[in-house]
Amino acid sequence: MWDGMLTGMMTGITTTLIPINIAMVLMGCFAGSFIGMLPGLGPITAVALMIPITYGLDPTTGMVLLAGVYYGAIFGGSTSSILINAPGEAATVATALDGYPLARQGYPGKALAIAAYASFSGGTIAVILLMFFAPMLASIATSFQSADYFALMLLGLTAVSAFAGRGGVLKALLMVVVGLMLSTVGTDQTSGIQRFTFGSLELLDGIEFLLLAMATFALTEALSIVLKRDASSDSLNPKMIGFKSLKVTKKEFKFILPTILRSSLLGFFVGVLPGAGATLGSFMAYGMERNLAPKEEQKKFGKGSLRGLAAPETGNNAASSGSFVPLLTLGIPGSGTTAVMLGALIAYGIEPGPRMFVERPDVFWGVIMSMYLGNVFLLILNLPLIPYFARLLAIPRTLMVPIILFFSLMGVYLVTFNDFDIQMMVFFCIAAMALRLMNFPMAPLLLGFILGGLMEDNLRRSLMIYDDSMAFMWERPITLGINLLTLFILLLPAARTLWERFRRSSPPEPGLP
Amino acid sequence: MTREKTGALVILLFSVAYGLLATKIPLSFLSEQEVFTARTMPYALAVAGIVLSLAIIILPTVDPEGKASLGEATKGMDWSTAILLVVLMLVFGLIMKWLGFILSSILFLLCGFRILGETRIRLMLFSAIPLVLALWCIMSLLLGVYIAPGEIFYQLGVL
Repeated sequence: MWDGMLTGMMTGITTTLIPINIAMVLMGCFAGSFIGMLPGLGPITAVALMIPITYGLDPTTGMVLLAGVYYGAIFGGSTSSILINAPGEAATVATALDGYPLARQGYPGKALAIAAYASFSGGTIAVILLMFFAPMLASIATSFQSADYFALMLLGLTAVSAFAGRGGVLKALLMVVVGLMLSTVGTDQTSGIQRFTFGSLELLDGIEFLLLAMATFALTEALSIVLKRDASSDSLNPKMIGFKSLKVTKKEFKFILPTILRSSLLGFFVGVLPGAGATLGSFMAYGMERNLAPKEEQKKFGKGSLRGLAAPETGNNAASSGSFVPLLTLGIPGSGTTAVMLGALIAYGIEPGPRMFVERPDVFWGVIMSMYLGNVFLLILNLPLIPYFARLLAIPRTLMVPIILFFSLMGVYLVTFNDFDIQMMVFFCIAAMALRLMNFPMAPLLLGFILGGLMEDNLRRSLMIYDDSMAFMWERPITLGINLLTLFILLLPAARTLWERFRRSSPPEPGLP
Repeated sequence: MTREKTGALVILLFSVAYGLLATKIPLSFLSEQEVFTARTMPYALAVAGIVLSLAIIILPTVDPEGKASLGEATKGMDWSTAILLVVLMLVFGLIMKWLGFILSSILFLLCGFRILGETRIRLMLFSAIPLVLALWCIMSLLLGVYIAPGEIFYQLGVL
């Protein structure tokens, strides 16, 4: 295994150090930071917006660019969280809890610099772990059969809902089902029968994944800025951030170092879980640090604590890198953003999974090794550029929103050159907007849509192998193990609720206040 | 009714319609004998959609954010601007073929800026025109992607 890993690393290094790939890492980090910083736009939108550009590129170069955009956008999101208390997406909400108070106390530069160092450390440590864990999991996964894949996809889809917030489990599951329903539109791969096409030629190939991603994220996020009359982008005074304000003392570094190490490990392992992603990584790291902190320090959390800022920033970056493990080794996305990236990989003609480790080591190792470079670029690029980036936040929404809409529409049109797709995007945008207003999450829908076709294929194949019997769900030990894990994850929220009820109903022990 | 129950009701109707449409998926004589047909997955999904949406409707709402009614949650929203932007996007899709990429895109951006309340004509023009031309140059000249000119140019005899 070690020999294979060394060879793979060499392949990755040589692939990453090609000038075009270095340029793409740089461009991805820059574009991701920029898009992620704009209020309302998160990594899913950033990655979806960049996909049309990657269609003209080599798959490795395209994936390197998309990976750069992903962690760049996570980093960019923290900038808007700290400066204007407007997290671009859920993964940077926890950053705003202590980052924004720090900025208001007159330390915006320090907060941004700590966020940059924490992101860099979290990202780099997670990539080292990714390098060891991904090949290990890939080598185990080569023995996987259709039944195991079906079970894994089931696990991925249920895990998304289990990690949804309080009361969000059923809603997330329902959105997964809606996504799966949308994936059945078009021609059935095996029988060639048309399903839900209503006689339309445009729907014969099904719904374009990019179209759905753009409509459900980029368009709806731009429209929700308009609907909520969000003026946050107009309210920033960029002059408050100068180069001198970015200084972090040695004492402060020493203070946050253990937090960074702990949060990196936690973030990575949370990211590896299918469906968990950066949001859970950041909140869990924040929660862990608050619990571990001494009582005096605990009081500072939420009011500008340095540990409270470093923990979620490290956690979300580590989890972003961790979510590449199930994507690259099993072909199962760990988060909404990696679901979009899975769609891009499939569009390139690459099937992610354990075979990719053997068949396309350039893509597999190229993406991993480019992450080192990306993390360094993010630090070098973003620290000096923070004062300038902050000025971009002052672009009025009267100009920004139509430009976002234009790029989203063009992103799809310039790939398909079909004006019917623009109409369809608007239709999906209206439906997605309505669902968002009714408090239904969109990421599970996209995850369901991406996995729908693969899931149906694997279920069909498993049934064929097992003579139309569902026994494949429990006869193979691997499948049974995965299914038990799925069951556990599904029952977890109910068990948690029952435990809370039991704790509330049990009387306090005598003698205790 | 809370907004999440309203949403569940909408998806329930969608799932029922999806299930009914699934019965209309054509099957060949041979495939009808199989256990797993083109209808199997849609049937399973329709049932799952109905069960889950009914569960949300019947069970009490736990999510504090989902408890507000749709009217309360959407109160004070700028509907007129959002609707105008949606109409603009639809029109953009319709005129694209006729006016071509450059003209329709510039028009889309100018109208979009105006709908959102921008009044500085120069700023609007300096934002829209270079952006569209730059994108066109990148796609056509740099990446070699052929973007067809609008029908109008052929009809007017310009091309």
